[in-house]
Amino acid sequence: MLTPKERLKRIMEGKEADRPACICPGGMMNMVTEELMEEVKVCLPEAHTDARKMAELAKAVYARGCFENYGVPFCMTVEAEEMGAIVDMGTRIYEPHVVKYVINSVSEFEKLSPVDVKKGRAKVVLDAIRILKEETEDVPIVGNLTGPVSTAGSVMEPVVFYKELRKKNKEAHAYMEFITDQLTAFGRAQIAAGADVIAISDPSGTGEILGPKYFEEFAVTYINRLLDSLQKEKMGTIVHICGQMSPVYREVDGIHSNVLSFDSVVPMKEAREHLKSRVLMGNVSTYALEFADQEKVKTLTRGCVKNGSDIISPACGLGMKSPLANVQAILACLKEV
Amino acid sequence: MSAKEELLKRLSDGVVDMEEDDVAETAQEYLDAGYPAFDGIMEGLVDGMNRAGQLYEEEEYFVTDVLLCSDAMYAGLEILRPYLPEEAGETKHKGVIGVVEGDTHDIGKNLVKIMLETAGFDMIDLGRDVPLRKFVDTAREEGAEFICMSTLMTTTMGGMQDVIRILEEEGMRQQMKVMIGGGPVSQKYADKIGADGYSQNAVEAVKLAKRLLNITNDGLGMR
Repeated sequence: MLTPKERLKRIMEGKEADRPACICPGGMMNMVTEELMEEVKVCLPEAHTDARKMAELAKAVYARGCFENYGVPFCMTVEAEEMGAIVDMGTRIYEPHVVKYVINSVSEFEKLSPVDVKKGRAKVVLDAIRILKEETEDVPIVGNLTGPVSTAGSVMEPVVFYKELRKKNKEAHAYMEFITDQLTAFGRAQIAAGADVIAISDPSGTGEILGPKYFEEFAVTYINRLLDSLQKEKMGTIVHICGQMSPVYREVDGIHSNVLSFDSVVPMKEAREHLKSRVLMGNVSTYALEFADQEKVKTLTRGCVKNGSDIISPACGLGMKSPLANVQAILACLKEV
Repeated sequence: MSAKEELLKRLSDGVVDMEEDDVAETAQEYLDAGYPAFDGIMEGLVDGMNRAGQLYEEEEYFVTDVLLCSDAMYAGLEILRPYLPEEAGETKHKGVIGVVEGDTHDIGKNLVKIMLETAGFDMIDLGRDVPLRKFVDTAREEGAEFICMSTLMTTTMGGMQDVIRILEEEGMRQQMKVMIGGGPVSQKYADKIGADGYSQNAVEAVKLAKRLLNITNDGLGMR
């Protein structure tokens, strides 16, 4: 039997495996729930700022039979905070979020602090990855990055940012290059620390918000630049894009990641038809995971497999109140087949 | 085409084409020519914004486009609005809108607000990461008829249900319509938590608000 790491590796390389993998990367794709925190007595928001606690919570996700990976961090504010944004660490149930931006326009990006991976929460994340690397084997470690457009919209008002893509197009590109360089530095440090997989989620860079032209010009371009700048010595990369894909399938197919992941508004069957040669991940409804029962979750899981998903995962971050039994039902179902 | 019609068309086109400066200039020209501000707003600016909304529905325009169109509309409004005649007449329907506590994604909410304002609603924008009780308190203080809530995150969806519960506790549920939206939200979720309606996008939200408040299309005007 394949170890979780071997299985994910084979699937990411497009090879046959004994069954689909079952992962939840972390980052925007939250995999921590209240029940899990209570069981292992490690809680948020403390684990956002403490490498040991972060690693223990990540371990619990695998140990309790939820998903076959470790993943850190559990939010998408690390990069923005290191660049100077003020972040509210949230509570047990609310994720950290930016409460104060750093700049007012794309043309002011030189005021941002470059990300220093030896400091702050960037270091916490890297330490957590090192702990996981040292103390575990056979289970893939996923390091998460906030996507370039989402990061760009986390250190300044996103509405202004979106408008300036058009109004200050040249400066917007210079800004995106800076942002992408910071993400690259953090991503490379994650791989150096021991991350097997890098997952990039870019929920603010959707085709629905940007339209096909700007999606290609800003989301795809800088996601690819980031992907291409990471070391080759890694198992693979995942890119998660939110929202409808129908206006942008062609552009999405141009993303250089090993795996593409979508949220639950995208029918897996439709994605499979449009992206025939790609490794696809997704997309069990997080609504069902929180409010339905195990049977429903299993039905949805079987549906994902049947419709062509290679890696089964929640479609979005898990709601904190999702019952553990529902979350565990995805993997349990895959093992039954 | 009369001179007035020509200017109205330029106002409308300016909004559709996202030309903020052109719209402001044209609005001034329109006033200087002595035409009524009300027509300039309704048949020029709002007409343009409605066309932008139509293009958005047809997936010709995307969120960033509509945001820029609304900038152009507001630039024109700023110039025309002071010249509206004082009218004691009908008051506008008032609503409270915001992104629920724990979430800061407000693009969708902003779009809904813009389209509701374009349709003539008076919207009180509480912004994002809004404490749940604040929706209810503001609605009471302002005499609002409806509350709009959105979130893009599964983790914060539960807050919407809490707001409805608070409305019930305060005895306000009967007279308050509640509409919800956002990525993880669905009609099914609206039914589950007892919201009055769900809409998938900003254009639908206007239709929903009108339906919930029994407003016919000619009953509103942007003042």
